[in-house]
Amino acid sequence: MRRLKVIGVLIAAGVLAAACGTSSSPSSSKSSGPSGALTIDNESGGTWTCDFNPFNLSYLPYSLGPVYEPLAFVNTLQSGKASPWLASSWTWGAGNKTLTFTIRKGVKFSNGNPLTAADVAYTFNLLKKYPVLDINAVWSVLSGVTQQGSDQVVMTFKTAAVQYFYYIADQVGIVDQSVWSKISNPSTYPDKNPVGTGGFTVSSKTCTPQNIKYTANTHYWQKGEPKVGTVNYPSFLTNDTANTYLANGQAQWGSQFIPSIKSFYTSKNPNYHYWFPPVANVSMFINLTNPLLKNVAVRQAMAYAIDRQKASTIGEYGYEPASNQSGIVTPTFSSWLDTSQASSFGNNYAYNPSKAISILQAAGFKRGSNGIFQSPSGQPLSFTILNNGGFSDWVAAVQTIQTSLKAIGIAVTPENLAATTYQSDLYSGKYQLAYGSETGGPTPYFELRQWLDSANSAPIGTAAGSNWERYSNPATDALINQYGATTSAAQQHSIVDQLEKVMLQDVPVIPVTESVDWFQYDTGSFTGWPTPGNPYAQPAAYNYPDWGQLMLRLVPKG
Amino acid sequence: MAALMRPGGTDDGGGSAVTTAPAGLVGGWSGGVSGAGSVRRMGRAITSNRKATAGTALLVLFILIGLFPGVIAHDDPSAQVYARSLGPSGAHLLGTTAFGQDLFAQVIYGTRPVLLIAFGAGLGATFLATLIGVAAAYLGGAWDGVLNLITDVLLVIPAFPLLIVIASYLHGAGTGVMIAVIICVSWSYTARQLRAQARSLRNREFLEAARVRGERSLYIIAVEIIPTMTSLLVAAFLTNALYAVLFSSSLQFIGLGNPEVVSWGTMLYWAENSEAFQTGQALWILIPGLCIVALGAAFALLNYAFDEIGNPALRPVRSIRGNRVKRPK
Amino acid sequence: MRFVLRRLGFFAVTLWAALTLNFLLPRMMPGNPALAIMGKFKGPVPPQALKALYAQFGLNSHQSLLSAYGTYLGDVSTGKFGISLTTQPGNSVGRIVLDAIPWTLGLVGVTTVLAFVLGTGIGIVGAWWRGGRLDSILPPIFVIMTVVPYFWVGLVLILVVGVKLHWLPYFFSYNYTLTPGLSGAFIGNMLEHAILPAFTLLITTIGTWILTMRNTMITTLAEDYVRMARAKGLPGRRIMLDYAARNAILPNLTGFAMSLGFVVGGAILIEEVFNYQGVGYLLLQAVNNDDYPLMQALFLLITVAVLVAILISDLATAILDPRTRGAR
Repeated sequence: MRRLKVIGVLIAAGVLAAACGTSSSPSSSKSSGPSGALTIDNESGGTWTCDFNPFNLSYLPYSLGPVYEPLAFVNTLQSGKASPWLASSWTWGAGNKTLTFTIRKGVKFSNGNPLTAADVAYTFNLLKKYPVLDINAVWSVLSGVTQQGSDQVVMTFKTAAVQYFYYIADQVGIVDQSVWSKISNPSTYPDKNPVGTGGFTVSSKTCTPQNIKYTANTHYWQKGEPKVGTVNYPSFLTNDTANTYLANGQAQWGSQFIPSIKSFYTSKNPNYHYWFPPVANVSMFINLTNPLLKNVAVRQAMAYAIDRQKASTIGEYGYEPASNQSGIVTPTFSSWLDTSQASSFGNNYAYNPSKAISILQAAGFKRGSNGIFQSPSGQPLSFTILNNGGFSDWVAAVQTIQTSLKAIGIAVTPENLAATTYQSDLYSGKYQLAYGSETGGPTPYFELRQWLDSANSAPIGTAAGSNWERYSNPATDALINQYGATTSAAQQHSIVDQLEKVMLQDVPVIPVTESVDWFQYDTGSFTGWPTPGNPYAQPAAYNYPDWGQLMLRLVPKG
Repeated sequence: MAALMRPGGTDDGGGSAVTTAPAGLVGGWSGGVSGAGSVRRMGRAITSNRKATAGTALLVLFILIGLFPGVIAHDDPSAQVYARSLGPSGAHLLGTTAFGQDLFAQVIYGTRPVLLIAFGAGLGATFLATLIGVAAAYLGGAWDGVLNLITDVLLVIPAFPLLIVIASYLHGAGTGVMIAVIICVSWSYTARQLRAQARSLRNREFLEAARVRGERSLYIIAVEIIPTMTSLLVAAFLTNALYAVLFSSSLQFIGLGNPEVVSWGTMLYWAENSEAFQTGQALWILIPGLCIVALGAAFALLNYAFDEIGNPALRPVRSIRGNRVKRPK
Repeated sequence: MRFVLRRLGFFAVTLWAALTLNFLLPRMMPGNPALAIMGKFKGPVPPQALKALYAQFGLNSHQSLLSAYGTYLGDVSTGKFGISLTTQPGNSVGRIVLDAIPWTLGLVGVTTVLAFVLGTGIGIVGAWWRGGRLDSILPPIFVIMTVVPYFWVGLVLILVVGVKLHWLPYFFSYNYTLTPGLSGAFIGNMLEHAILPAFTLLITTIGTWILTMRNTMITTLAEDYVRMARAKGLPGRRIMLDYAARNAILPNLTGFAMSLGFVVGGAILIEEVFNYQGVGYLLLQAVNNDDYPLMQALFLLITVAVLVAILISDLATAILDPRTRGAR
């Protein structure tokens, strides 16, 4: 298809670029089989190495979902609603300390072997045997995984950890025991020709440094799926080359930040659309070991003083909506937001510079001659803010924070560093203020836990997995652990409400804008894209296993 | 004598910059001429050679802009205070960036860091090269062997890849660091030229005389040898400055400079990141690029002109030889 | 023989210097690849993953600088560049690099030869008919082109020729839906993809060759033996080619040999803007991901290529021209 396009373009120089995108699927033999070629457009940062090891963080984004499948699908955009995938059902037992999966019948690996409960048990025990493969640390809560009967797998937990369902059921791809038991070192196994149960296959023959070609698995266990015949995933070194490629109709599924998206993309073709569903927050992290920042009055004042809307409009072209201090991403998780509680905190810390000033004055801070507030002992409220200089949107957003804070008498100097330095400083706590984001998860609990759980933190100088501000409160930790012991939605909501209160009272971090899934799509040649009305999966191609869901649901236009 | 090509026709990332060493100068009119004399000569040459005049005019223009940006542009170049992506207008001569900054102010204020790098790295590399090249030639023996080896080694290590590797470790190099790094990778070529030149002088009478007078080595190098090489030094400076401009813009374009510094290279970085070309903001890419070209051309024209001045054979037209006579220019 | 030994010695010293630079530079930098990967993935990377990544990259072991240097030299001498950090496991750096080399050699190599041949030709003709129409137009234009940053030229060409006019493809080294092979269709497609980057490179590098050739040619034309030839009344074409050009071109050949060595280093930014998967692209990829082993292998490769080119050109000169053997 692309070749036809190129030739066509050569012959008819000057034809509209936009037209190219629609010239797809010349295949006239439209029987019932999969057809059409879909192209994903997402900067890879380099050429492909054509490895698909599902237990390696570098490669699993390219195999988990369409090639390797997990036990269940947990949809972040529907508050973590779980639906069956390779498991047809599951039950919690023994006070939420056992989890029993019933494995679907009739599923086959691409080599023809049937999927059995033994394969599932083998997969999880493989992670136990090789901790390096256990990238989600599921064995930090599991104590055993065994097969039960012909089609069940029982997982036992050290302590109740219901929230780990997401990592266990949604993030681990199931492999074929007969293949993997022959591999001497699974941690360095490149897996060039992956054998999975998924709707698509890929092999060393269909992968080059320039492109990964996924081909529809015609023997897929879901009858009639997939409908798309081929999915191409070309490699791009930089964001702007990939953007150009997308905007000129050479790809249909974009997953990138695009500046000025209206003039650059949507205006070029009525079939071009975008949707940026928010999934987590971009926040200002506050180093709580800093003597001045330890003072909650300073943090509350900053939370009132930051103009979140401005940060969103200037820094993010408005694509990333303003956050709230409760830390609940709206509209994605709106049902979790305790609005009455939030309203008692100045309408969830709505922008209010005069209130910020009065808080500082009440706490004994006085303005110095330069207009900057000073502590009673004479230390000025003057801080550096660590930022990732590679993200132009963040650099711009932090400039608005700088302006906002300066207006109430707090001086902030941005330090825009390159990604690795930024990360090592952030993780090891070598900063005063920092702009950054956690990864979140299928419910707001995940992000709140990343922020507030003292177990995720580490002493200054040691890299912390999350909780970079070094917040520690035994009562909060207890709340966080309670969540893991309940499957009741009402109780989970009540716990999250209490965690929101911690955010509002203690202000350990200040969420500024929401971080979104970057997603552009072309309805000219394919339908079935997720939309706000039908958010069946996270839409960006870099979300695994969600992108596998998209590849199954997309339909080429006849 | 051949006009040498600086190694690395394609490795410099930015352009391939004509760097014909003014070989003619070496044999032509440098030996034994006093420093002041050659400076005067150069002054005359600038006014008499059209290329030199044009190059000088361009360079002076940029220097003035770099010295007094505030006189020309009235906006803070980094302040994100205007509407995004405006087209050119009376208020914003070149429009605004996607971040709401005044583009004209950015171009004007962006001149200074580029000039700082051009002159800083140009002078620095030339100075270091003089030190090493002349010391090697004058001291001779083991010193010469070691210094010459270092020079030769650095000469063959590809400069731009090395620069990229170093810059990537430094993360977000500001102007000062950029100058230092460029000096480190670019002095060797000049050092080699100067060594050759200094060696040819070593046994000249006026140096012998100085030695007989009992002058110290340092004095001889500084007062007797270096002034004789003024023209060569000027040419080397021009080449090094040109390379510094191209190197630094290239590094900044790929994001290895400090993105907060407003300079032409970082402007190109931000413009490319903001898809300027395809969102109706072509000026954001075109103008900084053209500025780099104009500054580069200033250095290249001067260099070209000095080549002609130094080597009379290269001067345009005049049918010195019985060649087929062509139309005068 | 002494000359050859000396050149080999120089080769070894330079190689050692490059190796040592390679070793020291990455160790002066902050950050580590596990963190870089965490940052690279936009999707959910749970915090627990950090530990697993540290283990995967073997970042937990500590070694003294000196013993690390020893290990490093040993490894490199046996061809082990380690495992690329961002592309592990199983992908040796060597394999990734080997995939990229042909593309750079093809694109930059051919363009370099073309630039030399065309540039030298224009230089010869320009110098012969000095001040003529060709001489007053081409050299000045191309000399100015040499100061134009070529990534910038590339960007403009992509926009105009590619995006607006649709005349030529502008990204990738071939249409990735084709199967690489020796078929006419594939080769044609590959050439088509090379046109824009090659043209960009050509127009920005040719000026150097034009100017150097023109200048040496002019100097040569003033030599006595050329005057003599003229006096003898030999035909102009013969004087131009056999007497002047042949001698004037000699010094440029060394420069040409060296620039061939630099080909492997590639036109780094050209490969970036055209998303052309050669060695330069790979270098930037390594830089973006803080992939030290890949960066080290590439830098070494680029340096060795230059060294080999110089060695060959030195030896060739020594064989062809006995006078150089004694000289330094």
